[in-house]
Amino acid sequence: MSDVFAFNGDLSAGYAQPEPLISGDEVFNAIPSSLRRVNLPRWPRASEPELVRHYTWLSRRNFGIDNGFYPLGSCTMKHNPRVNEKIVQLSEVNDLHPLAPESHLQGLMAIFYEMQEMLAHCSGMDEVTLQPVAGAQGEFAAIRCIQEFHKKNGESGRNKVIVPDSAHGTNPASAAMCGYEIIEIPSNDEGRLDLDALKSVVGQDTAAMMVTNPSTLGVFEPEIAKASEIVHAAGGQMYYDGANFNAILGKTSPGLMGFDAVHYNLHKTFSQPHGGGGPGSGPIGVKSHLAEFLPKPLVDRKEDSNGIDGWKYFWRDPENSIGKVQQWHGNAGAVVRSWAFYRRYGRELEKMSEHAVLNANYLRHKILNPSNDLAAKIPAMPIDGAPTKVVKHEFTLSMSPVKDKTGVTGKDVAKRLLDYGYMAPTLYFPMIVPECLMIEPTETESKEVLDKFADDFLKILSEDSDLVMTAPHNTDVGRVDEVWAARNLVLRHPLDN
Amino acid sequence: MVDHLPNLGREFEMLQAMGFSSIDDLFSDIPQDVTRDTPLDLPGPQTEEEIWADAQRLLSANIPMNSRPNFLGAGLYENFVPTMVAAMATRGEFLTSYTPYQPEVSQGMLQALWEFQTMISELVSLPVSNVSVYDASTAAAEALTCAVRVHNRKAEQKNIVYVSKWLPDYRLSVIENYTVGGGIEIRTLEWDENGMIDLDFAKEANGCCAVYVEQPNPFGVIDENLPKLKEIVGENTALIVGVNATSLGLIEAPGNWGADIVVGEGQPFGIGATAGGPIYGIFACNEKYLRQMPGRIVGKTIDDKGNDAYTLTLSTREQHIRRHKATSNICSNETLIALMGSIHMSLLGPYGLEKLSIRNAASCQATKEAVCSIEGIELLYPNTCSYNEFTIILPQSAMSALSYLDSLGVTGGLALEETTKNAESNWLHITATDQTTMADISKLVDGLESWLETLKEVSA
Repeated sequence: MSDVFAFNGDLSAGYAQPEPLISGDEVFNAIPSSLRRVNLPRWPRASEPELVRHYTWLSRRNFGIDNGFYPLGSCTMKHNPRVNEKIVQLSEVNDLHPLAPESHLQGLMAIFYEMQEMLAHCSGMDEVTLQPVAGAQGEFAAIRCIQEFHKKNGESGRNKVIVPDSAHGTNPASAAMCGYEIIEIPSNDEGRLDLDALKSVVGQDTAAMMVTNPSTLGVFEPEIAKASEIVHAAGGQMYYDGANFNAILGKTSPGLMGFDAVHYNLHKTFSQPHGGGGPGSGPIGVKSHLAEFLPKPLVDRKEDSNGIDGWKYFWRDPENSIGKVQQWHGNAGAVVRSWAFYRRYGRELEKMSEHAVLNANYLRHKILNPSNDLAAKIPAMPIDGAPTKVVKHEFTLSMSPVKDKTGVTGKDVAKRLLDYGYMAPTLYFPMIVPECLMIEPTETESKEVLDKFADDFLKILSEDSDLVMTAPHNTDVGRVDEVWAARNLVLRHPLDN
Repeated sequence: MVDHLPNLGREFEMLQAMGFSSIDDLFSDIPQDVTRDTPLDLPGPQTEEEIWADAQRLLSANIPMNSRPNFLGAGLYENFVPTMVAAMATRGEFLTSYTPYQPEVSQGMLQALWEFQTMISELVSLPVSNVSVYDASTAAAEALTCAVRVHNRKAEQKNIVYVSKWLPDYRLSVIENYTVGGGIEIRTLEWDENGMIDLDFAKEANGCCAVYVEQPNPFGVIDENLPKLKEIVGENTALIVGVNATSLGLIEAPGNWGADIVVGEGQPFGIGATAGGPIYGIFACNEKYLRQMPGRIVGKTIDDKGNDAYTLTLSTREQHIRRHKATSNICSNETLIALMGSIHMSLLGPYGLEKLSIRNAASCQATKEAVCSIEGIELLYPNTCSYNEFTIILPQSAMSALSYLDSLGVTGGLALEETTKNAESNWLHITATDQTTMADISKLVDGLESWLETLKEVSA
């Protein structure tokens, strides 16, 4: 297989540029001789036609939502509308400088303001900043705000953050970066928040509790309001991890559940494309008592007949701001895409959540209730990760019964799904469900796709176990050896030639 | 009418198959006391045509850099990205994919990122690169915490790092936020009279965990003292260098003069400034830091038949495995923008990079000469060489000069007092890039001259 360093053309290969304003020699001689570069980086020497082929070839060896069903739990892999891309490629987005005068950024700031207001409204928060560029950075920024809040109240002794054992790994990692000790509490037998466990750890040293609701099991925490009461009674703050916000828009809100701070994943709920791992956008919302600590600046506005629709927008620094977590104003391009996505739904965002939940429940039902014909061929069925009548936007399956009976693991089934043209579900998370597969269809999949996936999934369970355990068979490469990778650490091209 | 929901109108059929009769049944698990009792108070849905029209209407109020002579930079740069870059990177297979956790169907992105790691490694001359962090400032901050983890045990100055004087407030603030939890103390490395790191003072940093400096420095000065710094601070102190990435076709790679970790802003390779994001931070290091570095890394490996393949590796550093003991909380990063950078770098090639560096330096030099020929304007650091940007001293406030220039349709640069604590109000930071033209420079010079005239009129 070929890589980009195989292109080894003439020295003049590549992109032709206009001439510099003064001669190259003059420029070169002006650089202090001790700092002039001696050997240029050994980058490829290739022309556009060659590189278009190379990157097109690479793209065909990659799987996105556009290629097929992507039931990756907790990641909300919904369709990415293309007009959103067209908008951010305008110079009026792409070629803006964040330090430009406010008068150069009025259109962008109008969009920022609308997004701040919309997110605050949907989540029951009072103030929103769009600065954090990923969910994890949102968590970090919000926990920093909570830290400063306690400090201002003379309660710096609060040095512990509580997380359930089903939490995303970023929750404890973000709180630890702020210097907090992490207290992990076990879920109860049904995978729900255990209030007794919470009561046993909460106290005067509690700074905050971080919760995802619906949880990573895809089930709504019925006692969330009580959990908030318990933490608040001890003087702690409640933090909402918005990774699963797609399930509840218009139905409930973190504010109603008693949370003080929340982050939103615009790359999940609001369709910023995941781009192979980023960019994301992780705005945070807070109740008024935390607003003075938010990262700076926020967008505000005042009436002005010369402004956009009668408004002039300006940057405003919160009084006791923690400062910056990203050096500019966040991932503005992601905010603009998410704004375009939001405008497509408007007040019908509720319908988006309804369909996400409808699809998840429907797929779960189809998988757990195979036809008699199929059931007869399946040696062992997976079981629910958590007992529940209804799930929210996603659900978990434990493949333990399958593994016990046939030796086929969750990973084997995941790899076999790749052969059928699907992305695999999230694997082995949350860790509290043994042999876990976590499945999230999102609202943008049709009933036909869900029916077909359920059929194929069940068919795999009936297949010869050797076939499944050696999967995938139809992909660009066979099962990849991750242990070899970690032992040998070939982290760049050697460029020996 | 919402149009991206394939199952609209088929809800009942699906509900019935499950034994439910209404959508409300699916939300019956949400307790009454936390259920929203009013619908969302938002405008109705829009069609694509309406969204596009509204986007254009609102965004037309913006003034892009390329629509006028622009001399604002300071970390993000006006550039030109070859058309094929976005055309390739936004192919749906790349754009709409998730983190390549399933390598068997993600070889394309994995290979592109491995190639990216190689190109960054070559650019800065260090063996290891990750696949990006958020931006230059978080890269610097993560480099400092990474260095403390590696060096603190043996360090004579425990939990202490030094950073260059005159870092912009926004960078220092990010660094402070990222280091506060680890109890890391940040001290300042002083400059000498030429705007370079004071090597005598730097002896105080000997034995600390890390020093962070920039090349060129925040005011655009190429710092000739930096190659002597590693020896002064010592073997057990990480030398972290923040670079202006496009300068490295002209200025020696920091890995060749002692840097242990190189960070910087990748933006000029791959994407416009985009109001500050998405952009991407570069993070490259020596092997010593590999197991403590943040972010994702791709390794080359084999599949079950022994064929070449790529996969994410060293994941045990990361939050999804190591949770609160992870080296960083980073999960979503800036992969797609790094891919854009990678495509742009491939297309430039080594000599294209050199030419791009020269164009940037030439524009800077031409602008500097023209501006300095104006009577009444002085360089803050005369007798130094600049890349991309330089700082001048005006007879009056830089803010007033900028607003005068703005009224003439020229974006004149940055009043440093706005972004840098203790900067004088009459310091003006001017940036010129490969996109700067002689006509742009003339307009800047004319504008500054007529602004100076207005000052004389006032005083007369």
